[in-house]
Order: sequence, then C-alpha cells, then structure tokens
Amino acid sequence: MFKLFFATPDKKVVTDADLEEITLPAFAGELHILPGHAPLMTTLDAGILRFKLKTGESQKMAISWGYCQISSDGVTVLAETAVSGQEIDIKSIEQHLKKNENLLLNETLDDNEWQKAQHEISRLRAELELLSERSH
Amino acid sequence: MASLKDIRMRIESTKNTQQITKAMKLVSAAKLRKAQHQIVNMRPYAHSLLKVIANIAITERVNHPLITPKQEVKKVLLLVLSSDRGLCGGFNAQINKFTDQYIKNNKDKYEAIDFIFIGRRASDFFSKRKLKVIESMQRLDKDISYALASKVAEKVMHFYLDGQYDEIRLIYNEFKSAISQAVVCETLLPVDLEKETLTATEGHVSGFAVDMIFEPRPEKIIDQLLVKHFSVQVYRCMSESVAAEHGARMTAMENATNNAKDVLSRLTLFYNKLRQEKITTELIEIVSGAEAL
Repeated sequence: MFKLFFATPDKKVVTDADLEEITLPAFAGELHILPGHAPLMTTLDAGILRFKLKTGESQKMAISWGYCQISSDGVTVLAETAVSGQEIDIKSIEQHLKKNENLLLNETLDDNEWQKAQHEISRLRAELELLSERSH
Repeated sequence: MASLKDIRMRIESTKNTQQITKAMKLVSAAKLRKAQHQIVNMRPYAHSLLKVIANIAITERVNHPLITPKQEVKKVLLLVLSSDRGLCGGFNAQINKFTDQYIKNNKDKYEAIDFIFIGRRASDFFSKRKLKVIESMQRLDKDISYALASKVAEKVMHFYLDGQYDEIRLIYNEFKSAISQAVVCETLLPVDLEKETLTATEGHVSGFAVDMIFEPRPEKIIDQLLVKHFSVQVYRCMSESVAAEHGARMTAMENATNNAKDVLSRLTLFYNKLRQEKITTELIEIVSGAEAL
C-alpha cells in the first residue's frame, strides 16, 4: 500500500488515499515518485505539486514551502499553503506580485525582509504558473 | 412608589436587552464552531510535523539555538493574548490577573520583562503601568490565520535569535470546553523538544527507515522544520485563545439571558399586583361614593 497524506495548517487536503504517482517541487529539483521509491526526506520549494490517485482522480496544486517524507508505506507532504486553480484570483496575485517586486528594488531592506519578499514572489509565481497551465 | 408606566417601561427595556444578549449568544456559538473547526484542521499538520522532528532528532544529534536553553535567563519576553472586545465574562480579567501576578512574582528574578500585547483588553489594562511594551496588536478575532501567526512567530524568533531575550513566554486562555477556559503560561522559546516529541510519538517511533536519504542535509531540514514548528505552536495558541473567547462570551451571554428572564418574571408579577391594587382602590372608591349618595 502506498498512501498519500497531504496537509496544510488550515486543512487536510488528502488523507489515507492510495497513490499512483506524485510529482513534487523538491529542494533539488522536480521529483517524480512512484510506489516503491527509496525512503527519502526532502524540503519542498514553492511550485506545483501534481498527484494521481489509484481511483483515477488527479489534482494539481500550487504550494509554497513544505517538506515531504517518503517511506515504504507512503508519502507525507506538509505544505505551508496549498491552493488549487479554482481558488486563485489572478488580479490579486498580480497586484501582490508587483508590490513584492517593488519591495525588492528598495535597497533599505534587511536580509530578513528581502528573504520574505523573495518567498512571497516565488509563491505567487507558482500560483500564476498553475493558472497558465490550466488555461492551455 | 413606581407608577405603572415606569414598570411597563422597565419591562420593555429588559426585553430588549434580553434579545440582544440572546443574539450575541447565537453569534458566539457560530464563531466558536468555526474556531473549533480551525483547531481540529490544524492538528494533523502539527502532529506529523512533530513526528518528523522527533524522527530526525532520534537518528541524528540535533543542536539548534531554538532548542538549547540559555544558561542564564535574564530577559524575558511575555506575549499576552486577550480579546479585543468585552462582554465575555472573566476571560480578560483572568488574563490580566494572571499577568499581574506573574509580574509581581518574577520582578526580582529577571533583569527585564518586556511585553507584546495581542488584543486590546490587556493592553488597555496595563497601559497605565510602566511596562516596556514592544508592540500591541488588535483585531485578532477577525483575521486569525496561519499567515498572521507565522508573522508574529517570525518576529519573536528573531528577537530570541538576536539574543535580545533569553526566554519567550506566552500567556493565553486555553480552550478546555465551551464552558471552561484556563489561563496557562507556556514557554515558547526555547522549544522543549524532548517533552513535545514524547507526547507526539508516545515514546516509540515507527515507519522510519535507517537508510533514509536526506535532501538537503538533516541539519538543514531540522532547521526549517523547527521554525515551522514554532509558527504552528503560536498559531495553535492563538486559535485556542479565540475559541476560548467565544466560548466565554457564549456562556456569559447565556447567563445574561437567563438573568433577564428572571428579572422579567419578577417585574411582570410586580406590575400585575400593582395593577390589581389600583383596580381594587378604584372599586372601593366607587362603592363608597355610591353609598354616600
């Protein structure tokens, strides 16, 4: 049995579902996991997560920071945020993106603020990417 | 002696008050349900996060500033969670009392105790005192989200890592049930990993392979996980405080509605008695007037 457990602080997205395959935006690049993968623990970057369940249901979500643990009995994914295409409002994202990009131009930013803005931007870009994929 | 009209007016106004308290109770009940839902939703995330930390901590020796207690605690940062609005029974009074007591007990122990107030009630209460307040935040009940909690957590964590404070504590109302809350003081930083991981795994660890591949190195992973764990803790405390607030308000409004009911029945009885008396007097007057004729 290869199970998927996927949660964020606000909700459980998927629990205890039989997994066929999953693609993750891992720290070192995109990871495609099939049942029987070697045990692995990795952090996830902002990006798009895709998975397909045994029932044939498949889903795409944009996530920000997260981590994933793969063991012999399944995959555990914890993400800071996870949104699907329907939840995204393109206008507000573009606004936010612009705001954060302007922030980066500001030279008085300290390291923390800079990092935070970078994070926001990569999260928002992932969400935009998800939208553009949907419209194709 | 109150006239009939006066009493009638009092009955009317009591009725109005009762309607308001009843409505507030219903609103609080709905909000409480939402807050409880939030707590329940967060649990799986928090639980599995802690489990992974525990797993790594067992296979690898972890040494991180967030979990190593400082040798000497001199400066303490106290986060006090209260509500923005009143009419919620002893909710804020308990917090204020507890904080006050804490200051009294620990004034001499530490070099400095500084504050961050989240919620208007506590910051108002302590505003006249000479306390060093780093920040006051408001409107917690409207937009409590993980994003907000992690912002607070991040800020506090930097204070800690920069060495401005040696210990960070949080005073809040723990949500026990809809009718009972308890004030607790929790040490947020340094994180007591041993105690917490023990409760998460109940002493045994399973499903963790020895030949696990780590990407990036385990130290890096645990570094990020601990930061997230801390945010989750702050989020949990905030959610609990919000749930406790709504619970307290619900109970307070329930009591108020019942009181109004009692007052109403007493007033009505009094009103009827008075009315009866008046009629009797009038009758006697008429009868005696007729006899005199």
